[in-house]
Amino acid sequence: MLRFLVKRLLEIIPILLLVSILIFLFVHMIPGDPARLVAGEDATLEDVELVRKELGLDKPMHEQYITYMTNLFQGDLGTSLKTKRPVTEEIGERFMPTFWLTVWSMVWAVVVGLIIGVVSATKRNKWQDYLGMFGAVSGLSLPSFWLGLMLIQLFAVTLGWFPTGGMESWKSYILPSFTLGTGVAAVVARFTRSSLMDVLKEDYIRTGRSKGLNEHSVIWGHGLRNAMIPVVTMTGLQFGFLLGGSVVIETVFSWPGLGKLLIDSVAYRDYPVIQAEMLIFALEFILINLIVDLLYGVLNPQIRYE
Amino acid sequence: MHIFIKQESKGELGMKKALSVLSLLALSMVLILAGCSSASNDSDGKDSAKETEKAKKEGKDIVIAVQDNFTGMDPHDTNDTLSGSVQKTMLEGLVGFDKNMNVIPVLAEEYLANDDATEFTFKLRQNVTFHDGTPFNAEAVKVNFDRLADPESGLKRHSLYSLIEKTEVIDEYEVKFTLSEPFGAMINTFAHPAGLIHSPKALEEFGNDVARNPVGTGPFKFVEWKPSEGLEIVKNEDYWLEGFPKVDKITFKPVAENGSRIAMLQTGEADFIYPVPTEQVENINGKNGIEVESNPSIIVRYMAMNTLKKPYDDVRVRQALNHAINKEAFIKVVMNNQGNVLDSVIAPDVQFYAKQDAYAFDLEKAKSLLKEAGYENGFKTKLWGGNNSSAIKAMEFLQQQLAQINVEVEVVPMEAGTLSDRIWSVQNAEDAEIELYYAGWSPSTGDADWGMRPLLGGTEAYPPFSYNVAYYDNPKVDESILAALQTADLEKRGQAYEEAQNIIWEDAPWAFLSTDNTLAGKKNYLQGVYLLPDGSLSVSEIEIVE
Amino acid sequence: MVEIKLSKKEAYMQMTSEQMKTRTPFSEFWRKFKKQKLAFISFFLVLFLMILAVVGPFIAPYDIAEPDYENVLSGPSAKHWAGTDAYGRDIFSRIIAGTQISLFVGLSSVLLGAVGGTVLGLLAGYYGKWIDRIIMRICDVLLAFPGILLAIGIIAILGPGLGNVIVAVAIFSIPVFARIVRSSTLAVKSTLYVEATKSIGAQPRRIIWKHIFPGTISSIIVYFTMRIGSAILTAASLSFLGLGAQPPSPEWGAMLSGGRDYLNIAPHVTLFPGLAIFFTVLVFNLLGDGLRDALDPKIKD
Repeated sequence: MLRFLVKRLLEIIPILLLVSILIFLFVHMIPGDPARLVAGEDATLEDVELVRKELGLDKPMHEQYITYMTNLFQGDLGTSLKTKRPVTEEIGERFMPTFWLTVWSMVWAVVVGLIIGVVSATKRNKWQDYLGMFGAVSGLSLPSFWLGLMLIQLFAVTLGWFPTGGMESWKSYILPSFTLGTGVAAVVARFTRSSLMDVLKEDYIRTGRSKGLNEHSVIWGHGLRNAMIPVVTMTGLQFGFLLGGSVVIETVFSWPGLGKLLIDSVAYRDYPVIQAEMLIFALEFILINLIVDLLYGVLNPQIRYE
Repeated sequence: MHIFIKQESKGELGMKKALSVLSLLALSMVLILAGCSSASNDSDGKDSAKETEKAKKEGKDIVIAVQDNFTGMDPHDTNDTLSGSVQKTMLEGLVGFDKNMNVIPVLAEEYLANDDATEFTFKLRQNVTFHDGTPFNAEAVKVNFDRLADPESGLKRHSLYSLIEKTEVIDEYEVKFTLSEPFGAMINTFAHPAGLIHSPKALEEFGNDVARNPVGTGPFKFVEWKPSEGLEIVKNEDYWLEGFPKVDKITFKPVAENGSRIAMLQTGEADFIYPVPTEQVENINGKNGIEVESNPSIIVRYMAMNTLKKPYDDVRVRQALNHAINKEAFIKVVMNNQGNVLDSVIAPDVQFYAKQDAYAFDLEKAKSLLKEAGYENGFKTKLWGGNNSSAIKAMEFLQQQLAQINVEVEVVPMEAGTLSDRIWSVQNAEDAEIELYYAGWSPSTGDADWGMRPLLGGTEAYPPFSYNVAYYDNPKVDESILAALQTADLEKRGQAYEEAQNIIWEDAPWAFLSTDNTLAGKKNYLQGVYLLPDGSLSVSEIEIVE
Repeated sequence: MVEIKLSKKEAYMQMTSEQMKTRTPFSEFWRKFKKQKLAFISFFLVLFLMILAVVGPFIAPYDIAEPDYENVLSGPSAKHWAGTDAYGRDIFSRIIAGTQISLFVGLSSVLLGAVGGTVLGLLAGYYGKWIDRIIMRICDVLLAFPGILLAIGIIAILGPGLGNVIVAVAIFSIPVFARIVRSSTLAVKSTLYVEATKSIGAQPRRIIWKHIFPGTISSIIVYFTMRIGSAILTAASLSFLGLGAQPPSPEWGAMLSGGRDYLNIAPHVTLFPGLAIFFTVLVFNLLGDGLRDALDPKIKD
């Protein structure tokens, strides 16, 4: 177990190295000239060339790559081409807001999703199940911009309970985390239902029931634990996606997060920011999926890694 | 931070129970209530539009919600109007623009230009100090324009001032600029938002980090800027203009979503917002103490046609397209009535504008022109443009209009970087793929020169040098534009620009569409805050009147 | 614990052999499927959507591209059941005519993603070790790859066609399917029953397809049916980048996003395309639930 963990953690270093090369090549390969974009539409060629020189984009690509990697090894992610601020600052001030919003969204979404899923599975084909299905499908097909703007209209404008946006107090978290979590809750609910139903049919559950264990402990004790594997997988993935920031949520609720930063930096071909964000996302997914893999072992000790 | 988080977890826990039970119900509730509330808003609006209630305001702190993040607070190194608007609250230039884009004195009291437009002398205002206590004088002006004129500086706005050969201090309050060649539009360039003046001490202390630490002479002083959350400024108690500013504090907040910006104005979280999306004007004006101000801007909308490429190398085809587009409908459908028909290559508020006779909406004429040119059965073509919703809307409209004369348009919206690459990576004009291009332009100097030369100024303006995507090259136009720059004589300049406008209009390298309106929403207790025709914001006279 | 598992294996084998004798697998499936009323109805609704996709453009009451500037953004009425859009076009007609493209993009991209992801997930889960590590780390990187960059790359390399949208959306789905299938594979593999089959000496390919794949099916169906809606929405966001269907093509997702600016003044512009997507996702989910029960050999009645 410990060996597995150490191995997987050590593995991260070469992967990130590989990823950084890949990202660098891809980002430089796609069409778009940062010097032109940063200089702006009404810039003359002279302006553009000045900007290019100033940003160090006039150097050959391999030289740029070497600079990038040398800085990376010193923990320096470079300077934003657009704002000329250190990338660590740009990302730093947006990471925690995204992180906390993700955490709170996940917490409520997983709890609610699990409850709906379990109720649906145990009350299969009854009204509770149908209501659960209806809710989950709504959660999946409601576009978040629509939900977000409706919530603002209702709870901020009409009722005045919460602010329309920004990040000032705990109240600011309610509407965005509700909007963000809806899709997650739906996914968790559907997976819990399906997977719990699979498990409930298994013979050992039937045996448990026939042995006279009460229904509650059968479901919560045996059933859910085994049913959790796909749910944990899905939850991990959703967690990773949300950590990348959501452009829609950040736009609608004026939330200072990583999603919009990425979109903006793509629009300007702000290479250092794009590269840094993608590295962070890759690292996040690798770590989350490592935790998920470890959880498999906890949930089902028969799953082993060599 | 720690306390903040704790508080929050309590709140979440309290909410959680309620949420888990109610989440499904809430969803359907939201659906219904939101439907109701928007319906009731509509009916409210019609009643209260006439007798708008006066909104209330406590304190003298103003919140202004804008669309985007600022890029920096160094006017010499930014090129977006939005950042410029905020810079103007803290920094001032020698001259500036008034409400109608006329050049007015600011830190200079008067100026003098020689006839060749090569020498400009400014007499400066006395007894003005920067926020850090440094006195404002000719030396301070010189430091700033030396910085701008230095090609090694790498500043984004260098090219505007690259003609300045030398800046001389005549005495404490007089400064003289000498240009390397005549440039008649120079005074407008001095009024341009890029010509704002930093405290020389700040430039020395912070270097290029003045972008984070702006120190000027303006009515407001910089407090704090968190790029993703907002920027805060406070009243400059020692401002040179007696009695101003009239509010204590202004916070600028970037709010990207149109609907959210409006919601903030409705709830009073913001006192002033801009831009207001065109489709919302009628909906919010006169309700909740909100006033929408809609004024003509100098932003022009047009569809460029690649004049080097068939079939647009034929002037009849270009004129046919102009006749085939119903501009009134364009303004109604695309601009939601917030704009005017474009009747020259530049907007009325741009200096030296000369009105032209509109290309009337006339399908028969368009068809016969096409027939003459040999395109009786129309043709297929591609229309490029940006991918924001308003550009797509305009392009789809143009597609519908041109279908009437059997011109089959394929709309190709493109992401910003890809689009700029397709436009500017062209090395040979003949190889340019571009056919039709939907675009907008705002000449930031407010002068005809910048409204024509980069867009239609012959081969020198072809991509990648500049923005002449119509690949329009008429030597007569080039001559006129050049003649206008050779002199500071306003009458001569006006004549030259009029001629250029007449020729361009006849040659129709564009389908001329519309000029935008500037749109701002505010609570009705606010006064003295307005948008200039170039889309920049002026808050120096802002006050609360109840 | 061991005893129970063994007995389960026996039970399963008995069960399947029993079924083999009496009915063909398909009639057995159909018999079980019919028993679930809601799923059965949803089957016909899906059929209805398919038919609509084929005939939609021909039965739409109005021309989907014909503007009417005198009649923009008008609400639902007897003349225009779902109101009109910003150009005065009939939204109801556009939804009907748009079934084809939205359904096609939604289904084919998810299908492609599901096939790719399932194969990768099965391989990773079954073989484990370095195969697992390589596949999963590739998936991690794919997951972290921003969609907008991928879209820009695809336009630059492959061009802006509709087929490339499907490829793009499929690429987003592959790593998710792969991880889900892998997790189920690990769970199934760990049961003694596969261990037993292994020890008898069955071919890996046979073990994967006969014994492991069926155990992952229910997760695949759940995610597949859920993914359709988001695939339609993703395709629309790609069309804004210039990838895929372009105006005036009546794509549901694009119609819905186009209504964002009019949310408070003309809610019907978003509402009706939204309902179309909701309806589609709902019937596929119901159908999916029915399918997984009918396919499950452990449910007898």
